[in-house]
Amino acid sequence: MLSQTNKKILGNKNFHKLVSLRRRVSWSFLFVLLGSYLAFSLLSIYSPATLARPVFNGGVFPRGIAMGYAILALCFILTLVYVWLANNYFEPLEKKIMAELKQ
Amino acid sequence: MSIWRITWVLLALLYSTAVAAAPAMADGNGSGNELNMTAISMFFVFISITLVITFWASSRTRTRSDFYAAGNSIGGVQNGLAIAGDFMSAATFLGVTALVYSTGMDAMLFVIGGTLGWAVILLLVAERLRNLGQYTFSDVVAFRLQRKPVRTMSAIGSLAVAIPYLLAQMVGAGALIQSLFSLPYEYAVVLVGVLMTFYVTFGGMLATTWIQTIKAVLLLAGGTIIGVGVMAMLNFDFSALLTAAAEVHPKGEAILAPGVMFTDIITSVSVGLAFVFGTAGLPHVLMRFFTVPDARQARRSVAYAIGFIGYFQSLIFIIGLGAVVYVSNNPEFQAPGGGLIGGVNMSAIHLSKVVGGDWFLGFISAVAFATILAVVSGLTLSAAAAVSHDLYANVICDGNSDRKTELRISRITTLIIGLSTMALAILLEGENVAVLALIALAIAAGVNFPVMFLSMYWSKLTTRGALAGGYAGLATALILVLLGPTVWVTLLGFDKPIFPYAYPTLFAMLANLTFAYLFSVSDKSQRALAEIESFDAQWIQSEIGPVQE
Repeated sequence: MLSQTNKKILGNKNFHKLVSLRRRVSWSFLFVLLGSYLAFSLLSIYSPATLARPVFNGGVFPRGIAMGYAILALCFILTLVYVWLANNYFEPLEKKIMAELKQ
Repeated sequence: MSIWRITWVLLALLYSTAVAAAPAMADGNGSGNELNMTAISMFFVFISITLVITFWASSRTRTRSDFYAAGNSIGGVQNGLAIAGDFMSAATFLGVTALVYSTGMDAMLFVIGGTLGWAVILLLVAERLRNLGQYTFSDVVAFRLQRKPVRTMSAIGSLAVAIPYLLAQMVGAGALIQSLFSLPYEYAVVLVGVLMTFYVTFGGMLATTWIQTIKAVLLLAGGTIIGVGVMAMLNFDFSALLTAAAEVHPKGEAILAPGVMFTDIITSVSVGLAFVFGTAGLPHVLMRFFTVPDARQARRSVAYAIGFIGYFQSLIFIIGLGAVVYVSNNPEFQAPGGGLIGGVNMSAIHLSKVVGGDWFLGFISAVAFATILAVVSGLTLSAAAAVSHDLYANVICDGNSDRKTELRISRITTLIIGLSTMALAILLEGENVAVLALIALAIAAGVNFPVMFLSMYWSKLTTRGALAGGYAGLATALILVLLGPTVWVTLLGFDKPIFPYAYPTLFAMLANLTFAYLFSVSDKSQRALAEIESFDAQWIQSEIGPVQE
């Protein structure tokens, strides 16, 4: 059985807005990160030559190492974006929900 | 103050290590290099400073505010450092460096995975865990499921994760002491084991957060110095580092391409899954989210941790290649029987000597040793607590145990774990410590993570499903590790592994999810209906935290 407060929360528009917004952000970030990791794994097994080739013709810096560092950088950037979104969108929504519950 | 006494006992033990080392060297039983007194003195100086600061800081915190309950004293930055400290263990610093050293680009899979696991925690787990507001992750799983059976399962899961993870640290510590003090490896492992048991029994959990924080700062600084030092010797030309490494390495140009270590998709996907989902299944890491006051701080601390860990992982790649260039063909670091003194796990340690001389070698060894001490004590304690608190007190005695027996059981567990890991660590001499740690992560990903994930995200999970999934994942993971190359070949000495892959992650996760699904949807009992019905309340709390009625 749900309590009265929980029933109110389930009927709150902002609650659903918060949940779906956060869900979309989390899953799409995860999709991008894990997808690029999987792409790296697949390339390293099925097409090692692609990763071994240098980034610039005639150079020695292989694409695989560049791709690895790029994924690390992407992970860091998405982390910052997530924290920014959380501070500027998720938290104000949470506060709004709490205020509406008190009414 | 007993804290001071513990510090001195510990230091006396460390000193006796040095004294014990002298005859080993005189007999010529050691690994062949001369005892490096400058490095050893620096080792003691830094270990002493670290321990004294740790105990001083932890005793201060305790008197000022109640460390775990109040929690406000632990802000995002410090908790982030402590989390990073937990993760930057011997396995990462020594093990991943060793992997880069021996396989080159293939180790990138470890470097990326070690960071991405934290993104999964940030995006899926951290805030929810904090919002559900319990003390351990098994409390979260048991939020709407049956407490007793779920607790039993997660206690067994914690043990199965803790033991290989402990072994990784132990093998690293053994090699470290072996190469620093020129002791035979077996002797070094026993000494380290005794020291650790002492630390756990007397130091306790009190000091670990502080030692992790302080150590994280020292390790980040030390890693930066090694990385910058290597680059400075090559005039900050990354291409020169790559060229030089490929020239010196026995595998040549192959280290700048994938395929030295990973040649099949099952292994590389299992490695990826173990990192990505196993990190979120490590019980001692998840505990850290309950030391901060709210979900906001939990989020901040993971964000900081990702920054620190990602930075450190990027350094490790440079350190590993630097070790190829400056350590692998340096006669100073060759053991008489071939290979590096102390094995490949010591490549980062040897490189520190090239970069900063004997005092810096002592510093890095001390930091690595402090790391191992802190990680091991946290792990051993969480394993002992799983037996004495979860299994004995809550399940067997139904919450009515007497404290004395509970304490005794936890001591006995500590002792048994200490002795068995010592024995296993001796048998696993020279095994890459990152490989051992990854087996622990694979078990965590196969047992703990799916059940925790489903309990938070899937309304139809029932107790029966959670148990079936958890035990199926555990059995699959353990049997496949047993029949796999690390145990079947290295430990038991058979010629060929029955299960060809080193990591069981893919199969264990599939087994876990399949069983959890089948046994949940087929569960039509009254209890199952009630559990499904109470999902909404748990879901609401996981999204926005506890709401006052």
